[in-house]
Amino acid sequence: MNKRTRVLATALVTTLALGATGCAGGEKPDGSRDRGKNPALANSGAVLGGTPQKGGTLTILSNQDFTHLDPARNWVMGDMDFGTRLLYRTLLTYKAEPGAKGGELTTDLAEDLGVSSNGAKTWTFTLKPGLKYEDGTPITAQDVKYNVERSFSPDLPGGPDYAARYLVGAEGYQGPAQGKHLDSVKTPDDRTIVFELRKPFAEFPYATVLPTFAPVPKSQDKGPQYDNRPFSSGPYKIESYARDKQLVLVRNTHWNASTDTVRKAYPDRIVVTMGLKANQIDDRLITAAGADASAVSWDKLRPESTPKVLTKPDVKARLLAESTNCTEMLQMHTGRAPFDDVRVRRAVQYALDREAVLTASGGPALNDPATALMPGSLFSGGKQPDTLKIPLTGDVEKAKQLLKEAGKTSLTTSITVSNGDKAVGEAIQQSLGRAGIKVTIETVDPSAFYDTIGDTKNRTDLAYTGWCPDFPSGSTFLPFVFDGRYIKEKGNSGNHSLFRDDATMKRMDEIAAMTDAEQANKAWQELDAQILAKAPTAPAVVERRPLLVGTNIAGAFGHTSFGGQIDFATVGLKDPAKSAS
Amino acid sequence: MILYLGRRLLGVLGVLVAIAAVTFTIFYVLPSDPAAAACGKSCSAERLEAIRAHMGLDAPLWRQFADFVTGIFTGRTMGSGQYALHCDFPCLGYSYENSQGVWDLLVDRLPVSASLALGAAAIWLLLGLSAGVTAALHKDTLTDRALMVGAVAAASLPVYFTSVLLIFGLIRVAGLLPYPQYTAFGDDPLSWATNLLLPWLALAILYAAMYARQSRSSMIESMAEPYIRTARAKGLPRRTVVVKHGLRAGMTPILTIFGMDLGGLLAGAVITESIFGLPGIGRLFYGALSTGDQPVILGVTLLAATFIVVANLAVDLLYAVVDPRVRY
Amino acid sequence: MNTTSSTSTASPPKAAPPPVRAGSGPWQLARAELRRRTSVKLSLAVVAFFALMTVAAPLISALGGWGPEEFDKTAVDPYLGGLPIGPLGGVSAEHWLGVEPVTGRDLFARVVHGAQVSLLIAFSATAIVVVAGTAAGIVAGYFGGRVDTVLSRLMDLTMSFPSLIFMIAMMSVARDVNRIVLMTAVIGLFGWPGIARVVRGQTLSLKHREYVDAARVGGSGPWRILARDILPGVAGPVIAYTTLIVPGMIATEAALSYLGVGVRPPTPSWGQMIAESVAYYDTDPMYFVVPSLCLFLTVLAFTLLGDALRDILDPRGSGT
Repeated sequence: MNKRTRVLATALVTTLALGATGCAGGEKPDGSRDRGKNPALANSGAVLGGTPQKGGTLTILSNQDFTHLDPARNWVMGDMDFGTRLLYRTLLTYKAEPGAKGGELTTDLAEDLGVSSNGAKTWTFTLKPGLKYEDGTPITAQDVKYNVERSFSPDLPGGPDYAARYLVGAEGYQGPAQGKHLDSVKTPDDRTIVFELRKPFAEFPYATVLPTFAPVPKSQDKGPQYDNRPFSSGPYKIESYARDKQLVLVRNTHWNASTDTVRKAYPDRIVVTMGLKANQIDDRLITAAGADASAVSWDKLRPESTPKVLTKPDVKARLLAESTNCTEMLQMHTGRAPFDDVRVRRAVQYALDREAVLTASGGPALNDPATALMPGSLFSGGKQPDTLKIPLTGDVEKAKQLLKEAGKTSLTTSITVSNGDKAVGEAIQQSLGRAGIKVTIETVDPSAFYDTIGDTKNRTDLAYTGWCPDFPSGSTFLPFVFDGRYIKEKGNSGNHSLFRDDATMKRMDEIAAMTDAEQANKAWQELDAQILAKAPTAPAVVERRPLLVGTNIAGAFGHTSFGGQIDFATVGLKDPAKSAS
Repeated sequence: MILYLGRRLLGVLGVLVAIAAVTFTIFYVLPSDPAAAACGKSCSAERLEAIRAHMGLDAPLWRQFADFVTGIFTGRTMGSGQYALHCDFPCLGYSYENSQGVWDLLVDRLPVSASLALGAAAIWLLLGLSAGVTAALHKDTLTDRALMVGAVAAASLPVYFTSVLLIFGLIRVAGLLPYPQYTAFGDDPLSWATNLLLPWLALAILYAAMYARQSRSSMIESMAEPYIRTARAKGLPRRTVVVKHGLRAGMTPILTIFGMDLGGLLAGAVITESIFGLPGIGRLFYGALSTGDQPVILGVTLLAATFIVVANLAVDLLYAVVDPRVRY
Repeated sequence: MNTTSSTSTASPPKAAPPPVRAGSGPWQLARAELRRRTSVKLSLAVVAFFALMTVAAPLISALGGWGPEEFDKTAVDPYLGGLPIGPLGGVSAEHWLGVEPVTGRDLFARVVHGAQVSLLIAFSATAIVVVAGTAAGIVAGYFGGRVDTVLSRLMDLTMSFPSLIFMIAMMSVARDVNRIVLMTAVIGLFGWPGIARVVRGQTLSLKHREYVDAARVGGSGPWRILARDILPGVAGPVIAYTTLIVPGMIATEAALSYLGVGVRPPTPSWGQMIAESVAYYDTDPMYFVVPSLCLFLTVLAFTLLGDALRDILDPRGSGT
C-alpha cells in the first residue's frame, strides 16, 4: 500500500489539487442532480395493499419503547397515533384518510365538533351514548375532566400543555392527587363537558384531539404506574406490556364499532416487538419472510438501508414516505453578537448548503429542502413558497459579501446538535466553512438536547432543531417559534433563535384576534415571508417519514397529522391466515 | 475459615459503599437534568420545580445519598397522596423514564444478560480449554502452532466485527438462524437457544481465544511441576496424570480470570446486547445513559460491582477446593 | 515457555528471578532472540508502519490531496442514501480507498488521521498505566506494612469497579473538555492495578536479594535503592506487560468510540469509523473493512510482539 501510494502520489498531486479547488469552488447550479420523479414518492397519498381482511396478528417492529402511553403524558407524534387510534378515544379525532384529508376533524367520543359560546371562550361537547371501557363500565364526561386534571400533576410530566395554556384557573394547579379540582371544566351531567378558557380560542376543537382529552376513570388511576397499563376505551386493550421488550394488544370486546366512525380494528392481535436494531428491522422487512410479512416498522428507514429499498421495485412498492410536516432549521442566537446583525444571519442563510444537509438526513428521496419557515401543509397548495430564491447548494460569494458588509471576514462559532443529527452538524460545519464561518460541533444526547439549548445564557450560538405544528394552523407554528414574549432564560423552548421583533409580535396578536380562519391563514403565510427576510433562522429541510411494510400488509398509509406515522386505525392484513397466531 | 469469610464479606460491603458513593457523586454533577427531561417540550419553571421536588432532586447531595442507602435496607416511599410510590426492600430507587422501580427493572433484565453470559461461557470454556490443553500437550507441534495462530487472530477481532461477520454469514447468506429476538427460556427453550446462538458465538469466540492462550501456558507450566513427574514416575496412566494433576493445578489461574469475566458479563455485555438488540442489563444501562436516567445508572453500576466482588470471593473460596495446597 | 526449572509453588502473585544471566547482557540476548522470530519481524513492521502513520498523518494524507474533514458531494449518490458512486465504495484515482457514504469524505485521509487519534490515546493511556502501576507496585512491595495495605486495598477497589460501564458513564457525562485527554485519563484510571500487582510481586522477591541488602548496608536511601536496584530488576516484566496491554488499550478506545462516547465529530478514530460503517457492511463493505482491518492488524501485531517479549524477558510471568 505504501509503495503504490508514493508512486501514484507524485503523479496525482497536481490533478488532485485542481480537482479539489474545482469542487470547493462551486457546484453546478441548483437542481443539476435532479432525476425528475422522486423514486420514494410513488405511494404518496395512496393506501397500500387495498382493504384489509378482519383477523390475524399485526406485528410492529420497533427499535424503542414508547415514551409514554399514559394519555396525560403522551405528546410524541407516533405514540399519540398509537395511543389514540388503538387504546383510548378522545373528544374529537382526525379522519383516517391519506393526504390532506387527514388534517380534518371528525367526532370520536363527542357526537358533534364542539359548540362555542361567549366569543369562543366557552366550549361544550356532548358525549355519544353507550360508550364503554374495557370492563364494560360506561365512559363519562367526568372521566375526561379527570384526565385533563391529571395532566397538571407534577408526578405525570411530559404531556401537551394546551389545557394549561388556555383553561381558566390553571395557574398553580397541581393535579387531582391532593383532592383539588379545576372549576373551569364543568360536567353538568354524565355526557356533557364544558371548558372555560382565559382567551378566545377558535381552534380549541383541534386541541381536543390530543390524548389529554381521553377518559381515565379515577378508580383505575395509579399515578405514574398508569403509564404501564392504560385502561382501554378504544378497540384494543393491553394483554401484556414488558417495558422495552414487547407489548401485546388484544380486542376490547366492549368497544362498539357502531359508535366509532374512524377505527376499523382489522387485526385480532397487535404485537409490538421493541428494542430491535434499526438496521435489522429494515433487513427483516426487505426480506419479509414468515411472520415478518405481516409486520410494519415503527421508526424511520435508516439512510443506509435506502439503496437496498429504492433499487428493488418490489420492495420500493412497500415504502411509505409521508411528510413529517416539521421544518428543521439552523437557528441563530439573535440576542448576541455576531448573530444580532441581520447581515451575518443572512450570510448564514446564503452559505448553508441545503443539498449537503439533505444528503445527511437521508437524501432528496426522503426529504424536501425547506424554502420557508412553516411546512408546506400550512400553505395554500400544500407547498412552501420560495421567497428568498437562494440556490439549493447556497451562494458562497453572496454570503462572503454579506459578511464583508457586516465588517466580518471570518467568524468562529459553535453549534449544538442532537446525537442523531451528527451528520447534519458536519454538513453545516462544512458548508458554513466555505464562507469563512468556522463552526465547532457540540453533540448532545437527545434527552438532554432541549435542556441544553433551552439554557439561553450558556448555549451555543447555533442550534439545529425544528418545529411541527400541533394541528394545521399557522397559530401552532409562528407564535411558538418567533414570539419574543415566550422566551425563558432557562427551559426555553420553541423560540430558539430568541427572536424578539416588535413588528412581528404586534402582527401575531392581530392575526390571533381574527375570526375569519381563511383571512388568518393568509395573514400567517405573509408573516412567514416577512420573518424569513429578517433571518432569525435558516430553514434547512422538511423531513419525510420513510416506513417499510411487509408483503401481507393492507390499508397502510402515512397520516399527515401524526407526523407521517402509519395510521393504526386502518392498517390490517391482506390474508390473516398467513400471520403468526 | 469462618473468620476469613466474615472479614471478606465486610470488605465486599465496604467496596460497594465506596463505589455507590463515587457513582452517586459523579452523576449528581451530571449536566443533564432528569426533571427537565421528564418535563418535556414546553416546560414552565414552576412546573420544573414541582417535578424536581417530587423526584427528590432538591435535597442536598449527602441527604439524597443517605436516603438511597437507607432505602436499600428499609424501602422508601416517594411522593405522597394518591400517587405515592412505594419502593420495598431492596429499594434501589425509581426510574421515572421506565415508570418502574430500579430493582424490578434489574430483576426483569437479569435473565437476558445471564442467558447470554452463561451460554457464551459454556461455549468459550469448552472451545478455549480444549484448544489450550490440546496445544499444551502437543507443544511445539503443527497442531500447537495452528491453534495458537488461530487464537491470536481471534483475540484481535473486536466483538462488533465478529458479530457482523456472523450476521452476514449465518443469517443473510446461509439463512440458518433468525435475527436475534429474545425469547424467555421458560416460554420456549428451543427458540431461546436459536435466538441466542449468534450472540453466544460472537461473544464466545473472543473469550475462547483468550482462554486458549491462557490455559495453554498454565497447562505447560503445571505439567512441568515436580509432582507431575512423580506421578508419571509412579506409572499412572497419562490420562490420569493430565486430568487429575495437570489440569487441576493448571486451572487455578483460569478460575481467577473466569470469575472476573463472568462477573462482568452477568451485569450486561453492553456492546453485544446493543448489536443484537437483546433487552438485557447492558442495553438498559446504555438506554439510561442516553435518557439521563440516574437511578438506573446507579443501580446497574452497583449490580455490576456486586457481581465482580462476589465472583472474586467465590473464586478465592473455590481455590481451596481446586488446589489442595491452598488453605485458609 | 517455562525454560527455567523452579521449585516455587504456583500461587499468585508469581515471583520471577531477575533476567540476569552470565555472559552477554540480558538485553543483547533478548535482541538476538527477537531477531530470530519471523512473527516478531512481521509485527514490528506492522507496528512501525502504523506508528509512522500516526506521526506523519498530516503529511501522508496530504499525499492523497484530501483532508479528513473535506466533503466531496460528487462522490456520493444522494438519491441512494448517499452511497458512494463507483465500485468498491468509490475507489478511484482521486480517492484511493474510496469515500465515506453521505459525506464523501476521503477514506484514506480519515483512516490515516484515525490512526493518529486511536494510537495516540492507546499509547498515552498505556504510559499512564505503566508509570502509575510501576510506581505503586514498587512502593507497595518495597515498603510493605501500612503503605502496602493501603495501596493493595486501592488496587482491589479499582479492580472491583465495573470498568467498561464506568468508563462509558464518565465519558458520556463529561462535556466541554478535550475528548482525547479525557479518554486517555479515563482509560488509564482503571488500568494501573494489573501492572501494579505484577510489579509488587516482583519487588517483594527482589527486596531481600544480596545486592539490595548490600546497597542498604552501604547507606543508600530507600528511593535510591528503588531507582537503582529494584527498578532495573522489574524492567523486563514491565516491558513485556506493557506491550501486552497496548492492544487492550486500542480495543478499549475503539469500544468507547464504537458506543458513541469517544471522540467528537468530525475527528476520526478507528472505533468511531467502524461504528459508523457497521450499518453499511453489506451496501458498502469497503467502508467497513478498511478501518476494521487496520484495527485488527495493529492489535494482532502488538499481541504477537508482546508474546515474544514476555517469553524472553519474563519467562515465568505468563499470568495476567
